[in-house]
Amino acid sequence: MIKRSFFTLTKPRLSYDLVEPDPKESEPIPIPSNLTLLLNEPIDNTRQALIKKGDAVEKGEKLRLYNQSTEYTISPVAGTISAIDTYSDDFGSTSTYLVIKSNQGQTTQTNSITYDLKDDIASADEYFRTLPGAPPLKILASDDVKINTIVITCSDMDLLSTTNQYITLKFLDEIKEGAKVLKKITHVPKLCIMVPESLNVQGKFDSIQVFKTSMEYPSNLPAMILKDHLSMILPAGKAPEDMGVSFISAEAVVSLANAYKTKSAGFEKILTVIGKQGTQYRIKATIGTPLRKIFNAFNIHINEQDRIVIGGPMKGFATYTPHHPVQPDMDTVMIQDRDIIPELSDNPCVNCGNCIRICPANVPVNILVRYLEADQYEEAADKYDLESCIECGLCAYTCTARIPLYQYIRLGKHELFKLRALETAND
Amino acid sequence: MTNNKLTVSHAPFWHDGDSLFQMNLNIMIATLPAVIFGIIQFGAPAFGVLALSLSSAMVWELIMNVISKKKISIGDLDSAVIGLIFGMMLPATSPWWLVVTGTFVAVIIGKMIFGGIGANPFNPALVGMAFLMLSWKVFFDFDAAYVNYEFDFTALAPLAALKFQGAYEVAGVFPMSDLIMGKQVGAIGSTFGLGLIIGGIYLILRGYIRWEIPVSFIVGIIVTALAFSMANPDTYAGPVIHLFSGYTLIGAFFLATENSSSPVNRIPMLIYGFSAAVMIILMRNIGAYADGTVLAILLLNVVNPLIDIIRPKALGKGVNNA
Ligand code: SF4
Ligand code: SF4
Repeated sequence: MIKRSFFTLTKPRLSYDLVEPDPKESEPIPIPSNLTLLLNEPIDNTRQALIKKGDAVEKGEKLRLYNQSTEYTISPVAGTISAIDTYSDDFGSTSTYLVIKSNQGQTTQTNSITYDLKDDIASADEYFRTLPGAPPLKILASDDVKINTIVITCSDMDLLSTTNQYITLKFLDEIKEGAKVLKKITHVPKLCIMVPESLNVQGKFDSIQVFKTSMEYPSNLPAMILKDHLSMILPAGKAPEDMGVSFISAEAVVSLANAYKTKSAGFEKILTVIGKQGTQYRIKATIGTPLRKIFNAFNIHINEQDRIVIGGPMKGFATYTPHHPVQPDMDTVMIQDRDIIPELSDNPCVNCGNCIRICPANVPVNILVRYLEADQYEEAADKYDLESCIECGLCAYTCTARIPLYQYIRLGKHELFKLRALETAND
Repeated sequence: MTNNKLTVSHAPFWHDGDSLFQMNLNIMIATLPAVIFGIIQFGAPAFGVLALSLSSAMVWELIMNVISKKKISIGDLDSAVIGLIFGMMLPATSPWWLVVTGTFVAVIIGKMIFGGIGANPFNPALVGMAFLMLSWKVFFDFDAAYVNYEFDFTALAPLAALKFQGAYEVAGVFPMSDLIMGKQVGAIGSTFGLGLIIGGIYLILRGYIRWEIPVSFIVGIIVTALAFSMANPDTYAGPVIHLFSGYTLIGAFFLATENSSSPVNRIPMLIYGFSAAVMIILMRNIGAYADGTVLAILLLNVVNPLIDIIRPKALGKGVNNA
C-alpha cells in the first residue's frame, strides 16, 4: 500500500505500475471441472427459459435465458449446465449465474464451435461480447449512439494493474491485426491507441493515432483521456459513448483478431494476480474458473477476514467468495491481508481540504459529502457537482477523517439515477 | 477455505494511512517549541495552566459524550488540540477556574453543541478566548499578570505599550531579535516567534495546514502595518512588532488554520488569511483593542462560508459540446 510520504506539501502522487521489461509467459491454469458464468439478466420465473439444469452445452455455444433476451454468454467448455441461480451485485441489482460442469478433460482441447461470421459489427456483437477483455461490441453495434472514435487502451486503468501493458508487449502484431478488424467492421473514422509513455513499444502503428499517457494516476481514466488527448470535456453525468468515443482494451482487440481468424470464440483470460506480499503472478485462465483454483495453484492462502479485490486498489470491488469466477473484464485480482486493510470510520468531514486538493474533477467533495449523507441527491448533483466525479477514488484515499467518500459518491449517483428514472416515468 | 468470511467493503482499498489522530498529534508536536519555551520562561505555573487546559478540554468532551450517549470521541485528540492551543493563549498566572471555564466554553459551546468535530463554524479555542476576554478582561493585561516575575528584558507587553504610548515612544524598546527569541511578555505559547514559525513550517510541510492561509495572513500583516506606518510613522508601528508579538504568529499558524472554520479553496484561503490580518491591524491601530487577533479571526470565521464558494468549475459543468 502506498502510504502518505512524510512531507506532503504538494498533493500525494500515485503512479501506475509499469510492466516488467520482457515479461515471462503467463502461466496456464488447467480448465476446472465446474465453471461459473455470469449473465446480466435477472431470472424471471413467469417466462419459459431457453436453458435449464441438465442441458448439454457445446464449447462456444451461445446461452440465453429467454427468447427475447439480448444478453448472452458463451460456454467456454463442452459439458452440462448444473445450476442456474440468482446473483446480486454491489448495489443489490440481480443477475443470473450458470454453473457448467465440464466433460472435457483438463488437457484435451475440444474445438470451439465456428460461427457464420460476417464482416460487420452486428455479427461480431452476435457472438463476441464475452471474449477475453470484454470488447464493447454492444455499444459499438447500438443504433442509439454514434461512435466515431475508438481508443485502444494499452495502458491499465487502475494502479498495480499491468495486464494490458503485458498484452501490448506480447501481442503487438495481434493488436495491429485486431485494429484492422475493428476498422473493417465498425467503419469508425478515427482509431487511436493509448500507450504508457514509459512503455517501450517496438514498431509503429499505421493510420492509428498514438496517445502517450502519463504514469500518474488517474490520467488513464476515460474522462482524463478525453480531456488530455482528445480535447473534449466530458459533460457532467455523461459517458464517453455519449461523446462518440468508445474505449476497448488491448486484450479485447487481440481476442477479436483471433476470433476473426478462427471464426470462433476464445476463452483464455490473462490476468495479473497480486499476492499478499505484493508478488505478481501472470496467469492465463479459462473464463468461468473460480478464483480459488488460481489461489490453490500458487499456494496463496486466504484466511478469514482477508480481502479479495477484483480490479485494482482504487476502483475495484471486493468479492465475498473465493469462488468468484474469472470474467471477461477481470484484469487484476489483489489479495489483501486482514492486517493491512485500512480502517474506515464514521467520523464526519473535518474540512481538512485534502479531497479538494487532489480531486482531478474539481468536485467540492467536502460539501458534497454532507448532502450525500443527508440523502439529498438532486441538490448534490445540481449544486455540488456529483456527476462531475470521474470515479478515481482519490478523495477517499486521502480523506483524513477516513470517510468512505467514493462509496458515498457511487451510491449517490446510483440513487440519483433511480430518482431521475422515476421522474421520467411519472411525467 | 470455502467457508471463510472475507472482508467485503468498497473501493478504494488503499488509504494513505493518515487519520484525525495523526493530524492532531502532529499539530501538538508542532506546538512543542513554543510550549517548551513558554514553560521555561514562565515556570511551573505555565506548565500547570497548559496541563489543566489540555486535560479539562478533553474531560468536557468526555462528559458531553456521556451525556449525549454518543461514542467516546476524545481519542481523535481534537479536544486535546483545542485545550492545548487555548492554554497557549493564556497568561501563566491564570487561575484554575478561568482555565476550566474557558475550555468549557471552547469545547462545549464552541464545538460540541454544533455537532462535534468538523461541524464548528468558529474556531473553538477562540470562542472560549473571546468569552474570557469579554468577561474577565483584567486577566489579559499581561503587564499586570507578570508583576511578580523578574525578566532580563523589557517587561512590558509590546502591543499594549504600543497602543498607549505610540510608535515613537516604543521605537527601539523592543528589538526584533528579542521579539523573535521570545524575550517579551505575553501568553504562555505566543511569545517565542521562532518556535511558532518552526512549528508552522513543520505543519505546512507535512500537509496538515494549508500554506495559503498563514502565508497570506503574514503578508496581510506586513502590508497593512507598513501602509499605516508609512502614513504616520510616529503613531503607527512598522510590521516587525505587529508580526512578532501578541497572538499574531500563533494566529497565523494555529488559529486561522483550524480546518472546520477556514476555507479549503485556494483563492478563498488567500482572501481569508489576508483579510484576517488586515482586520487585526485595523483593530490594533484604530480600534479599542491592543491585540484584536481573537476577534479578527472569529469575524473571518463568520464570513468563511461566503468566501469559500469561490471555487474552480467542476469538470464537465456548463459545457454544451455533447
Ligand atoms: S472519486 Fe473523488 S477525487 Fe475522484 S473525481 Fe470523484 S470526487 Fe474527485
Ligand atoms: S478529505 Fe475528508 S475530512 Fe478532509 S475535507 Fe475531504 S471529506 Fe472532509
